[in-house]
Amino acid sequence: MRRRMRGLVVTAVALTSALSLASCARDTGTQNNGAGNTGNKTGCTLAPKPPAASTTASSSAQDEQVDGSKLKVGLAYDIGGRGDASFNDAAAAGLDMAISKLGVSKDNTKELTASPQESEDAKQTRLRQLASEGYSPIITVGFAYSDALKAVAPQFPDTKFAIVDATVDGAPNVTPLIFAEEQGSFLAGVAAAYKSKSCHIGFVGGVETPLIKKFEAGYIQGAKAAAPDIKIESKYLTPAGDNSGFQDPPKGNVVAKGEIDAGADVLYHASGASGKGVFEAAKTANALAIGVDSDQYNQATVADFKDVIMTSMIKRVDVAVYDYVKAVAKGDVSTLPKVFDLKSDGVGYSTSGGKVDDIKDVLDGYKGQIVDGKITVKDTPGN
Amino acid sequence: MAATTTSGGENPSAAPMTRTLTPPRRRLPGWATGMLWVAVAVTVLSTTAYLTNIPQLTSSSTTQTAVRLALPILLAGLGGLWAERAGVVNIGLEGMMIFGTWGAAWGGYYWGPWVGLLAAAVFGALGGLIHALATVTFGVNHIVSGVAMNLLGAGVTKYLSTLIFQPLSHNPRESPPVPKFETYSAAGLSDWLAQLEATQRVGIADVAGILRGLVTGVSPLTMLGILLVPVTYLVLWRTRFGLRLRSCGENPVATESLGVNVYLHKYLAVVASGALAGIGGATLVLNPGQAGFLENQTNGRGYIGLAAMIFGNWRPGGLLGGAALFGYSDGLQLSSGGQTVLALVYGVVLLLGVLVLVQLFRRRWLAAGVSLVAAALLYTLYWTVDELPSELTTYLPHFLTLVVLAVASQRLRPPAADGVVYRRGEGD
Repeated sequence: MRRRMRGLVVTAVALTSALSLASCARDTGTQNNGAGNTGNKTGCTLAPKPPAASTTASSSAQDEQVDGSKLKVGLAYDIGGRGDASFNDAAAAGLDMAISKLGVSKDNTKELTASPQESEDAKQTRLRQLASEGYSPIITVGFAYSDALKAVAPQFPDTKFAIVDATVDGAPNVTPLIFAEEQGSFLAGVAAAYKSKSCHIGFVGGVETPLIKKFEAGYIQGAKAAAPDIKIESKYLTPAGDNSGFQDPPKGNVVAKGEIDAGADVLYHASGASGKGVFEAAKTANALAIGVDSDQYNQATVADFKDVIMTSMIKRVDVAVYDYVKAVAKGDVSTLPKVFDLKSDGVGYSTSGGKVDDIKDVLDGYKGQIVDGKITVKDTPGN
Repeated sequence: MAATTTSGGENPSAAPMTRTLTPPRRRLPGWATGMLWVAVAVTVLSTTAYLTNIPQLTSSSTTQTAVRLALPILLAGLGGLWAERAGVVNIGLEGMMIFGTWGAAWGGYYWGPWVGLLAAAVFGALGGLIHALATVTFGVNHIVSGVAMNLLGAGVTKYLSTLIFQPLSHNPRESPPVPKFETYSAAGLSDWLAQLEATQRVGIADVAGILRGLVTGVSPLTMLGILLVPVTYLVLWRTRFGLRLRSCGENPVATESLGVNVYLHKYLAVVASGALAGIGGATLVLNPGQAGFLENQTNGRGYIGLAAMIFGNWRPGGLLGGAALFGYSDGLQLSSGGQTVLALVYGVVLLLGVLVLVQLFRRRWLAAGVSLVAAALLYTLYWTVDELPSELTTYLPHFLTLVVLAVASQRLRPPAADGVVYRRGEGD
């Protein structure tokens, strides 16, 4: 009885495998019509183009000679530190620029890095250590430092602190280095609207925090400015408080696939490392994607997908750090822009890969209008 | 975990050797119950899709997404099953999955996806070996050792990734792009199902959509993962080795008295558990649509796998159902959003309605009343809002698991000696 059962099982398995082998085809090479862009292939009815920008907003013009050789610069990174190919690396690049251009001595700099899951005390200790060793300015990278700064900055009133991506109230010696992400995202939205064939685009946010909502708001406003009747999908991976949305590529992939299935053919992500999944989904479905924070076209970890990355919304943390060090060297922090925006080249878009070269004049036109104040970009989504 | 910890309090040696077990009154064999559940689920989903006019509920892309998201959970759950059936609680699945992700990225980057898969299994098995050494040989508390495994997994891979991946990817937290498995489709069948799905006829189109998702764009790793469910069943429930292994989890003292090497079987089970968790990690790296190695990319999937195993009553079939439920609802909320999830609420109302009838038929008035109230509440919710807020939809998988657990009201029974530290010869 048992033997017969076994024989039956073996036959069944053999039959199924033979059958499935006979009809199983490899997917690569066959026609892949997974993309949902079955709508009109002509693209959007576009709003009239903005007038060409009269003057390209120049950054810090020519570098006037500033001597920073006396400065002792301290840098406190967020998790990841120098070499994370993102945020912290951009801050490090700003410091390197200060070393080469302002004459800051490398021996007079100190860089410390946060470890994952460290306590609040560890951050405060790190800042106290830098401050009591005489470092000034001390630049803290990431909003995670805001509470620590609130506690430490008043204890060292003569030390100059700066914090990237946050403001600290009630501490006059802390300079906030914040960015107008919504302005850069506006241009990303314009580019998406111009490049979409189905007049349907998507946004993938990592975690639903006010910071990421700035990206979403600008993107939507920009797309609607360029094509008033465009359709926009928008979704976040995780709600506020659950930071796993910034490093979950499978979820990013699923969300992006869902938006593509709904008809979107250009996706903009603001989801950190989850963006890999978004790029992958875009590549599979022959859609386009827009990177974030740094020029992702040139990023080694997503090199597989560079042909779908048409542009990236760049946030110049390096410029902000460099400008801040320079301002401290001059002894006048008040000359710094309150917000690093398009005007001060704190945000912008990348052109690597040449996919947006044909609409560069349009993008620069909109940029000019934002810089001149003719368009105000909202920093919260919603009508 | 509640079920396992309470069982940990029992002392197996104190239990009477001969237990008078009342044979369970099972009118249906296990596979038939499973098929019945599948049929109920498909009926409810297709009815809901028809009535609410939201075909995404049963579309092929939803099914594909569900499979993709369920796979790591399924494999982690299978890993948990092997260990717990041998009486070792494996809360270190998460750590072993992390080992697997690193191994998969390392092997895959240098020698292709198949070697990556092998490396993932080996790395996971190594993690399992450490856990086995601690719990079986040294008698460390299983939970303590498991938590240590999770910390070790995160720490060791961080070190290895800085050492090996940073020069390649310029990023200590990520690997360079890793080659992925090819995907395969059952060509003729898939196209035929696609036509059926496009007809949008009630029932037929829904079944076609679900089936098409299962036979389109499948990677060898996915096939392997699903195949491991029947394989696990056959090995653990239909072989001598499996019987011995399970008896180690039920009553190791009695097993020892019959001349079985309990230590050896526990070792093998936990190592296999680690290898399965490692393969689960590999699905996050080597399946198409996934990234390479990324710090923290498992994001608690090992724990969810453990939950799926408990949900499935320490049985492979139930575990498959738990993983599928989780993958399906998570995929649905991620790819379609609030409106679709609301339609699923309507489906739950339908399910509860059927349940009310069943309970009334069985004259269980209280259960019927509770189900009726729940159904009424959910229906009100469905009727009053247009779209569920995203804060709620994110936790849909967790809600749904709770609802199904409540509805099924199954009597969970973990292995009797699960989580109990066993010393050789302690029965004398």
